[in-house]
Amino acid sequence: MADPRSPVSVPASGGTARPLGGAGEVEMDPVEFTLRKRLPRKLPRRRNDVYVNMKTDFRAQLARCQKLLEGGGQREICVHGLGLAINRAINIALQLQAASQGALQIAANTSTVELVDDLEPEDEEGGEPLTRTRNNSAIHIKVFYGEGH
Amino acid sequence: MSGAKERMHRKKMRNQPSNITFSSPGWAPPQDERRWRNGGEAQRQGRSYGGPQQPGGPRPPSSAPSPQGHPSGGVRGHQWGDSARGVQGYSQKLPRYITASVFAQARAAEVGAMLRAVTKTTGSSHVFGALPKHMRRRAMSHNVRRLPRRLRAAAARVLEKTSQQKKEQSKSKSRRARRRHGNLLLEFNRRQRKHVWLETHIWHAKRFHMARAWGYSLGDRPTSKCYRACYRAMSGHCLLQDLSYYCCVEVKGEEDTLLRALARLTSKETGPTFGAAVFLSGRRQGSVVVHRADRYPAEPLGQVLFMWRPKRGPCSPRQLWLWVHPTLKQDLLPELQLVCQCSEPPEPGPPVALPVLARGSAGEEPAEAREAQRPGKKRKRSGAEGEAVVPVKKIIGDGTRQAASPLSWRSEATGIVISDLTMEILRFRLIGPLSHCVLTDTLTPATDCGPEGMTETSHLWWPEQCKDGDNLSLHHRQADIFRQLKGVCFSGEIPAGTILGLAVDDPRLTLPTRRSKTLPDLKQMQGGGEETRLLTLQGVPAECCESPLWEQAVRHNVTENKIPEQELNRMRSELLVPASQLSPTPPQSRVPVLLVHQPGKQVGEEKSSWGTGWDLLLPKGWGMAFWIPLIFRGVRVGGLQEALKHSQNKGAPHFPGDFPDCPAGARFLREQETQLVDHYRRRPPAKRPNYIKHGCLAPFRCPWQQLAEEWEMIVKEAAEEELPASEGHAGPAPEAPGPEEHRSQAAGRGEGSAPRPEFPGGPECGSTSALSDAAVAVAKFKVLRSRKALRRVSAWCRPTSARGQRLRGRAPAPAQEQEQQLTPAVVASVCETHGRSLVWTRLSLLRKGRPTLHAMICIPAPEDIQLLRVDPAYSGPQEPRHKDHFRHRRGRRRQEEGEGPEEGGGTPERLGQAPAAGSPEPPAAGLWPEPLPSVTSHCSRVLLGFVTQGDFSLAAGCGEALGFVSLAGLLHMLSGQPAGSRGLVLVRGAASLQYRFAKIDVEV
Repeated sequence: MADPRSPVSVPASGGTARPLGGAGEVEMDPVEFTLRKRLPRKLPRRRNDVYVNMKTDFRAQLARCQKLLEGGGQREICVHGLGLAINRAINIALQLQAASQGALQIAANTSTVELVDDLEPEDEEGGEPLTRTRNNSAIHIKVFYGEGH
Repeated sequence: MSGAKERMHRKKMRNQPSNITFSSPGWAPPQDERRWRNGGEAQRQGRSYGGPQQPGGPRPPSSAPSPQGHPSGGVRGHQWGDSARGVQGYSQKLPRYITASVFAQARAAEVGAMLRAVTKTTGSSHVFGALPKHMRRRAMSHNVRRLPRRLRAAAARVLEKTSQQKKEQSKSKSRRARRRHGNLLLEFNRRQRKHVWLETHIWHAKRFHMARAWGYSLGDRPTSKCYRACYRAMSGHCLLQDLSYYCCVEVKGEEDTLLRALARLTSKETGPTFGAAVFLSGRRQGSVVVHRADRYPAEPLGQVLFMWRPKRGPCSPRQLWLWVHPTLKQDLLPELQLVCQCSEPPEPGPPVALPVLARGSAGEEPAEAREAQRPGKKRKRSGAEGEAVVPVKKIIGDGTRQAASPLSWRSEATGIVISDLTMEILRFRLIGPLSHCVLTDTLTPATDCGPEGMTETSHLWWPEQCKDGDNLSLHHRQADIFRQLKGVCFSGEIPAGTILGLAVDDPRLTLPTRRSKTLPDLKQMQGGGEETRLLTLQGVPAECCESPLWEQAVRHNVTENKIPEQELNRMRSELLVPASQLSPTPPQSRVPVLLVHQPGKQVGEEKSSWGTGWDLLLPKGWGMAFWIPLIFRGVRVGGLQEALKHSQNKGAPHFPGDFPDCPAGARFLREQETQLVDHYRRRPPAKRPNYIKHGCLAPFRCPWQQLAEEWEMIVKEAAEEELPASEGHAGPAPEAPGPEEHRSQAAGRGEGSAPRPEFPGGPECGSTSALSDAAVAVAKFKVLRSRKALRRVSAWCRPTSARGQRLRGRAPAPAQEQEQQLTPAVVASVCETHGRSLVWTRLSLLRKGRPTLHAMICIPAPEDIQLLRVDPAYSGPQEPRHKDHFRHRRGRRRQEEGEGPEEGGGTPERLGQAPAAGSPEPPAAGLWPEPLPSVTSHCSRVLLGFVTQGDFSLAAGCGEALGFVSLAGLLHMLSGQPAGSRGLVLVRGAASLQYRFAKIDVEV
C-alpha cells in the first residue's frame, strides 16, 4: 500500500504530493470524510470506439458493435472496458468473432487507468479536502477484418 | 334555440325596424309587426289589413288578390291559404273594398321603413364589411383602389378620418432620427426604467423570448427550437448563459469578526460553511443555505454562492463576495446588516459608494479621456459634445434596488463594510464538458507591456501592475496554469469549485473570422503530463486565485478605458495586412477576470459530474466584448428555461422555485400560481382538465404546510395506536385537521379573498399586499437540510439488496446499522426531532410516464406492489374518477345571479370576479375552492408529496422528477414496505388518473 501508485495527495500550497506510509493512515475514517469518485479521464472518441459499461444491456452493446462493423462501414472497431466491464468487453469481442465465421480478428491490449477520488472533510475543522488516486485495469480490444476479407 | 344562435339572431335583427308607424292617426293595428316578420301569418290577420277601412269603399270581388297593393307577405299568405284551407274560407275574410288614399298611405309608410332599413348599415361599420369575405383583401384597409368603385367614396372618408387621428398621435421623429445614436440611447434608457437590461440584452432580445423578472429583462428561452440541442450542448460541448443578474454583495472586515458574524447565519450541519478551511483560503467557491440569524433550522433565506479573496498578509482585512439571486438580496441584506451590526446610516465613504452614485459623470469621463488621447481626431464627436445633450449609455443599472438607496453600510463596532456590487461584475456561465476548451480558446493571458511601459507612469491599471515584479511573476504563474487547462480532457476533472484569477487580453483582438466549434486538441492532452495531473489533483494554489478584479479601482479603470468597438474597427482597418492581429496590443486591452469552476452533479451515483462548467467573472462594461468571442467558439446560448433543465438534470434544487420554505421561494411560487391560474382560465372550459374529477386538489401550487401537518397527525395517531404502520389504514382522519387548518378554514370563510400567510404557496393572485404578506410570512414547515439526517434517510430509501450495498460503496457498516434501525420507534424519534419536515428527493420512473409540474407522489398500496412483482410490465393502478360536487353549486349560483345558462362561455371568469366580498371567491370551474379538504387522504392512494420539476430526462432515458415529500410520510412508508421493494412510490400527474411506479432516492 505504500507504493506511490496509491498516494493520498494533500494539496498543500507547497504543491507536492505526499504519499502516506502505512496502510492504517491511507484508510480514511469514513465518518470524517465524504468520498466522491470522479469520472475516469475522458479522451475524445472516434466513431469506431465503443466504451462498454455495465449499465446498458449486453445485447444492445453487442448489436451496436455488429452494426458498426457490418452496416457502419468500419473495418475495425475498438472495444474498451474498464474495471468490472473488462469481462463484458472480452465477451463482446469474442461473440463478434464467433458470429463472423472467422472473418474478424482480435487484438487485445491492456492498460492501467488512474482514477481520482475526492475526500471531503465532514466538519469544518477537518482541514483541506484530499484527493486519492488509485489504479484500475482496462482493456482495449481491436476487432478488425483480417487479410483477404 | 341555443344561446349562440339566439345571440346571432338578436344581433341580426338589431337594426331592423320593429315597428311601422303610419302617418294616418286612425291606423294602429295591434299585430302589425308580426305581419312584417312572418308573412305566413298574414292570412289570419287578413281581416286587419283593411280593418279600419272597412266602413270605407267596396272590396274587389272574392278571391282575386289585389296584386298592386298587397305586400309580398300578403301574397304568400294568400297562396298558403289557397292550398291549406281552400278558397272559400279565405275569401270571406277579405274586405270587399278598400279606400285608395288610406291604403296608399299605409303602403307608403311601409316602403319608407323598408328604405330606411336598406340604407342603414348593419354589423361592422367597416366599409369593406359590405363585401363578402372572399372578396376582401388585406391591402384594402389602406389602399382605396383595391375596393370596388361603389365603396370607394365611403372608404376614402374613413381612411381620411383615421389617418388624421394617426398623425396626431405619432408626431414623433422619423425613423432615421429615432435610430440616431443619441436618440436611440435615450430610448433604451427610457425602456430600462422599470426592468433593467443586461449588457447582452440586445443580443438576447433578437434571439430569445424575453421574460421580465426580478427587476431585469432576461432571456427566457431561445426562439429557435433547441430543447434537445441545448441538452446536447450541456452534455457534450458547451452552453453559455448570462448570469449577470445575480447580485454580488461584498463583505469586508477582519477574518475573525466576519466569521463570527456569518456563523450566525449558517449551520455546520448542512455542510461546509463560510469558515471551512478550503473556502477560507480562497481556493474554492462554496455554496451554503443562509438562515435568519440564529434561527437554524427554521427560517431559511436561500442559497448563496460565496468566495473569499485569498489572504494577502497575515492580518490584513479579508474580502468576501456573496453571489445571490436578486430575489434573495432583499432578504439577505437586512440580515447581513443585523449580524454585522451595520445598522448605521450608510457611509458616504470614499472607497465604495462613489463611482456608482456619480453615475452620469462616470460614464462621460471615458469619452473625454479618449478625446484627450487623440485630440482632433473626430469632428463629429466633438460637435456632439458641444451640444451637450448626448445621453450616457447606461451600462450601470440595477433593477433590484431604488435609485436613491444606499450601496454600502459600515459598522463602527466591528469595522465590517457591506457593499452592494450588483451589476458591477458580470457573470457568464459556461456549462458543459468542453467549457474549459472554449475558455482556453477564447482567452489569452495578458501580454506584458513593453519596457517603455515599465518606466513611465500611466493611468491604466496594467502598466502599473506590471511595475511590481511580484505581480508579474504571479501573472506568469496564473498564465501557466491557464495553459495547462488545455491538457484537461473535460471540465469535470478539475476539483469542484476551483477559482483561477487571470488577466487576459481583449478577446475581440483574437476574434476568429468565422464562427466555428472548438474541439479539444488531442496533442495538447497527451502532452500535458505531470503538471496537468497536479492541476487536476490539487487544483489551483491559493495565491493564483488572486485577481485584480477584486479591486474596486481596477474594475473602474478597466471599465472606463475600454476601447469602443468603433475605435477597434478603425485600428483594424489601418492594418497593413487585412485580418492580421493588432500588434502591439493596445495598452487598454487587458482585463482582469476570475474563472470559477462549477461542479456538476455531485450527489447520487448516476450521471456523476454531469453539467460541470466554468463561470467567467468580468468587470462591467465588457460583456459584449467577451460574449461575441465566446459565441464564435461554437457555444450554444440558453436562457432561464435551460438553466432550469440544467439543475433538473443535476438533481439540484433550483433557486427560487425549489425553496418553498424561504420567503423568496414563497414569493416565486405565488407568482407562478397566479400565472398558471390565469393561463388555465384563459382556456375554454371544455378544453380545460377538470381537476376535481381528476382528484387533484391543488394543481397550481403545493400545499406543503397542510401536507406536513397532516402527516404529523397521522404519525402521531399511528404511534398512539401502537400498531405497526401500514398503508391501508394510513388515511388520515379528515375530520381532525391540524390547528392550522382550522384557522385557515376560518380565515377562508371569514374574509374570502384575504391572503393566508400560513400557506406559502397560497392561492392569492399576486396583489401587492399579498406579496408583502408573503415576505413577512414564516413557513411553519421546513426542508430537511441536515446532512446527517439526510444520509440516514437516504440509506433507508434503498432496497436492501446486494446491489444497493455495493453501490453505496463506502462505509457499508454504518449503513447496515441504520437499516436495522428503521423501526417504528426510530421513525417516531426522527419525526419528533424533525417534525413537519420535507425532504428533497429524486424520482426516476420505472417504465412509462413523464411527470409534470405539481404531480402527486403517492404511497403504493400493498396490492400494487404485489401486481408489480407478478408482472414487471404492470404500468400502475388507476385513480377512480372523482365526482365534481361543485358543478351543481356553480349552476345554482349562476341562476341566482340571473345569468342565462346559455352564456356559459364567459361564466367562470365572471363568477370569479363578480361575487361580493361576503362569500369566498369561487375558483374557476374544475378547481377546488378554498379551503382544501385533507390532501393526504383525498385519493385512493395516500399522498406523500409533490413534484416541483419533472420531465422526460434525456440523460437517463426515462421520466425523472424532483420534488419534496413529507419526512414523516416517507419514513412511515419505508417502514411498511417489504425490504426488496423499498423506495417504490407512485407518481400521478395533476391532470391524469394513471399512477406510475417510480423509485425514490434521497441524494446527499
